[in-house]
Amino acid sequence: MKTKRNPEPVDVVIVGAGAGGATAAKVLSEAGLRVVGLERGPWLKPEHASGDELKYLNRNFIWQDPKLKPRTYRQNDAEDAVITNFSATPQVVGGGTTHWGGMVPRMTANDFRLRSLHGDVPGSSLVDWPISYDELEPYYTRVEWEFGTSGLAGANPWEGRRSRGYPTKPSPLSQIGRTFATAMDKLGHNSFPMPQGMVTEPYRGRQPFSENGFWQQYPDPGTGKSSVLISFIPDAVNTGLYDLRSDCYVHEILVGSDGRATGVRYEDEDGNEWVQKAKAVIVCGGGIETPRLLLMSKSEHFPDGLANSSGQVGKNATFHQYSFSVGLFDRDLHDPLYGWSGHYMSGCSFDFYETDATRGHILGSLIFPSNIGHPVNWSFPGRPGWGSAAKDADRELFNHTMKIGILLHDLPVESNRVDLDPTVKDAWGLPVARITHTPHSNDFAQEKWQVKKNGEILEAAGASKIVPVNMERITGNTSHELGTTRMGDNPATSVVDRWCRTHDVPNLYVFDASFFPTATGINPALTIMANAWRCADRIIQVDARGWTTD
Amino acid sequence: MGQAEWVTVPISTRDVEGPIYLSRAEWDTIEAATARIIPTDHHPGAREARVVRFIDRMLAGTQFVFPAADGIGWLQMTGREEAAWAERIQTRRALYRNGIRELDQIANANFGGRFLDLDDDEQDRVLEKLSGQPKPEPFTFDAPEDDGRGGAPAGNQPVNEDFLSFFPLLVLNTRQGFYGDPVYGGNDNRIGWAVIGFDGPPTLRSTMDGSYTTLKYMIPEAQWPYERHPAVLRYRRP
Repeated sequence: MKTKRNPEPVDVVIVGAGAGGATAAKVLSEAGLRVVGLERGPWLKPEHASGDELKYLNRNFIWQDPKLKPRTYRQNDAEDAVITNFSATPQVVGGGTTHWGGMVPRMTANDFRLRSLHGDVPGSSLVDWPISYDELEPYYTRVEWEFGTSGLAGANPWEGRRSRGYPTKPSPLSQIGRTFATAMDKLGHNSFPMPQGMVTEPYRGRQPFSENGFWQQYPDPGTGKSSVLISFIPDAVNTGLYDLRSDCYVHEILVGSDGRATGVRYEDEDGNEWVQKAKAVIVCGGGIETPRLLLMSKSEHFPDGLANSSGQVGKNATFHQYSFSVGLFDRDLHDPLYGWSGHYMSGCSFDFYETDATRGHILGSLIFPSNIGHPVNWSFPGRPGWGSAAKDADRELFNHTMKIGILLHDLPVESNRVDLDPTVKDAWGLPVARITHTPHSNDFAQEKWQVKKNGEILEAAGASKIVPVNMERITGNTSHELGTTRMGDNPATSVVDRWCRTHDVPNLYVFDASFFPTATGINPALTIMANAWRCADRIIQVDARGWTTD
Repeated sequence: MGQAEWVTVPISTRDVEGPIYLSRAEWDTIEAATARIIPTDHHPGAREARVVRFIDRMLAGTQFVFPAADGIGWLQMTGREEAAWAERIQTRRALYRNGIRELDQIANANFGGRFLDLDDDEQDRVLEKLSGQPKPEPFTFDAPEDDGRGGAPAGNQPVNEDFLSFFPLLVLNTRQGFYGDPVYGGNDNRIGWAVIGFDGPPTLRSTMDGSYTTLKYMIPEAQWPYERHPAVLRYRRP
């Protein structure tokens, strides 16, 4: 294997082919740059997907097997970390856009200036974003149209100025969406169609989702669900300039004696090692794998890991814990909710998103109603486990349950972090990511208040029983991994600059959600893609002009 | 060969009717236990759904881990993924083998017979002793939340069964065999779905080609603001 020749050097090597990596690949290759993509997971196609609950939710067909790719977790430095499947996220071509529910709301204008609004919050490393909503807006619009989305412009009163509406109409209303909209109205609140990464009308050769109900956590065998697997990756491949190699695991980012990145060292699926040289390296492995790779890339120049002169790599980690209230409805009083119909979630509201001092905490979250699972995994706390009581409960309540959830807008805390576990190794013999995390007291306050509020909405909807499901700790149950190479203007306190270029290494970039300086209370994929597009434009217009052609 | 290249082997969990991994006696004992976990009443239960066949195929080896997307044939796993699943199945086999022995031991110590030979109530007492908990009481809307064994829904994460002991694993597997797609060997004639009113797909293929849809259970004609739309107002009850 040592006699094999390494692949030809290219302009850019991109580690990872999820939301960030695929967007960068599309923009750079369409601009004429030669790009190699290295994705550690398989390149599964839509025809590998179908509505099989056991395969996707229980046997984890697209989720990492914790026997091969474990992670460890502890609450604080005094504890020993234990192996958990923390923040499982599909490591496949398409990344998190394969299993996702496709929620694509925009950040609000205030999300970009939380430090200015709230000042110093004790125990938190709260900062403003170095960019504004207006700088990102054109890219939000571009992604909404290129990627394929549905929604209703103007229906969200909390949204900032938008330059264009959505390319396709809102997705069809589900019974759960009906119940939510009616209850919210009863309480004097706004709700509106969830902006979705789906097309609801024929759009650029794609057909709408079949509404087979297998949506959240299921890849789509059709073309209705927007994923980078069926959009930006084919766009990039079609340029003839994007060479995407799946099942290729990057072990190290290489640097030269001048301190610039020279490429990466990776292992292919047969165990062969290769070096891919490039003029620039973009890391898009997600908010856990990206800091892990930077920290594994130790060298003489960078003894503490790459791009880590600030000591901030891996720190300020936030994870958007998903909590909710479950509502159980009496079948004698209510029409069935048929939670398994449609596409998991149908409406949402931003009415609790912005800070309201009367609540006793700062920040807030998007809220949205959804089902509590397909038949195998349908459950609620208090469900009888076996015997006739269990069968009766399944029979009486399966079609009469829903939940209303939140995405915790958690505060950044410097000691909440990802680093390398000192003892646990993955199946390739490399140190795994260790998560150290204790929620800020504001996180608990916000979560408790909103879960209770969601219960009140269910009560207004007529639920006979409301069961709150609060967090005891962070588990990473949204697959949202944020903040671990935070973006900022100051090299002493941040890892990447406003163009997501590392302060320390001028040709090394991070385009996944690791850059988020604060968590936001919304799903991050749209913002990841919009920002990747913005920063890729910068590479084309400025950085690439300085690259030598040798 | 990566996961995307796994080939489909033309086998089915229904190629034979009876056990391919369990012994006949083990098969009968598991079938009896699943029939207490999801009993037969005015609707079919685990026995009629052939849940025991689901469990037998789950334990049989890595050939029955992942069906092909369209449900015709099974994926031949390779490499590290296959090795991890082989290890997982070994662990489950030991749990089941020891668990079956324990069922009979408890049955014998308390009722002087094998688990299989006891009546329904006696079998329930054995399951209570095995689980260390009383048999779940009927659900009511005013029951306290910690009364049952079922936990919160998994949210948005895959479910990990690797750390379960025998009884919770048996309960979960029974549920999987009753409610999972019939391609796995249980849920015969989709009777598990019929019991709870899930109008599920007739085949996995039908979820791929667009022929299966749940649109008729939705309100696609409703337009925002939904709460004022006639299609939504129709649902108002006096």
